[in-house]
Amino acid sequence: MSRTGDEAPRVSRRGVLLGGSGLLVGAAATEGANLAIGGPGPSKQLTPGEDLMREHGVLKRILLTYRNVLERQAAGRPVPTAAVHDGATMIHDYIEGFHEGLEEAYVFPPLRQAGQLVTTVDTLLVQHARGRRLTARILDTTSAASLTAAANVQLASDLTAFVRMYEPHEAREDTVVFPALRELLSASRLRALADTFVAEAARQFGPDAFTDMVARVAAIEETLGIANLAEFTPTV
Amino acid sequence: MARWTGKPLLRALVLLAACVTLLAACGSKPVTPPTVRTATIGGLGTILVNAQGYTLYMFVPDAQRGVTCTGACAGTWPPLKTAAGKTADAGPGVQAALLGADKSPDGSTVVTYNRWPLYTYAADINPGDVVGQGLDLNGGYWYVMRPDGTPVVPHGAPPFPTS
Repeated sequence: MSRTGDEAPRVSRRGVLLGGSGLLVGAAATEGANLAIGGPGPSKQLTPGEDLMREHGVLKRILLTYRNVLERQAAGRPVPTAAVHDGATMIHDYIEGFHEGLEEAYVFPPLRQAGQLVTTVDTLLVQHARGRRLTARILDTTSAASLTAAANVQLASDLTAFVRMYEPHEAREDTVVFPALRELLSASRLRALADTFVAEAARQFGPDAFTDMVARVAAIEETLGIANLAEFTPTV
Repeated sequence: MARWTGKPLLRALVLLAACVTLLAACGSKPVTPPTVRTATIGGLGTILVNAQGYTLYMFVPDAQRGVTCTGACAGTWPPLKTAAGKTADAGPGVQAALLGADKSPDGSTVVTYNRWPLYTYAADINPGDVVGQGLDLNGGYWYVMRPDGTPVVPHGAPPFPTS
């Protein structure tokens, strides 16, 4: 399948809109609209795409901490290795060991079987593998309290590569892959998938898996001094 | 409701055809046992692969006792499945006596080798890829296996008991 064809799945506008946008779900819910997965009335159940996208939100916040560390390195300031190690551990356990496993188990196979986004899925799988290798090295490098000059350079290279890869990676999944899955699967299969995701998260991380992860990444942001959202607002 | 009025033999044939159609619609088909064979990979030597040439891995936490990788883990590491009560066919270089099977907690049956459940890696896009070798993921390390039933453990990796 050509790259061009791969990037143009048969996804309707409605499928894109319902593909997992928390903003849309929230807005529609306030209007009393029914965005539950095939249910008769408003539901608090997340769609599979929405569940995966909020996990992407956790990943985005860790990428933000990586960016902060890169800025410190560029300014010649010491690296808070423990904070980087905590973030990389979250990525290792929650993103690479769980979130990506859900994608590899339940999102990519049906798309492949339907002949959709085959090249994209291959690329995403390769990126999962490269990300896991990068994370392993970041964890290894940051297991020390302080870094040698060589380790500092290696860490900067790995963090840069990781951020550079994962920003487009998750953006492509959010805007192309998850909407395609939403379009492909029946309402009942999506509902079953949503239940599976919830059960898997609870089995591996407890009933409050997502909120626990948000609290963990917020603590890392606090450590780095980037917890105040308002500080990211530009003065115009 | 319409009532069947045909002859018994014809009725049986129609019912048989309906059953066959139903089974086909459900995806039921004769299960061909998977094949485990070997391939030579640069830097690793001769290792186990599946019939299509995709690398097979063992998972240290399985500890030669049973399948522990399920759910999301099994998405990343799809187990080599077989029919209940069956194992895999031994290809050239594979010791048939080391092949076995284990019931996964999800109800499926997974091929084992020297009592290690066997898995592929989702990110091995092409036959011959060994991208998962030595990875620490989903709670433990993943290694390729030699035909003698031992894992290929990189120098410096944490040791673990095997039998």
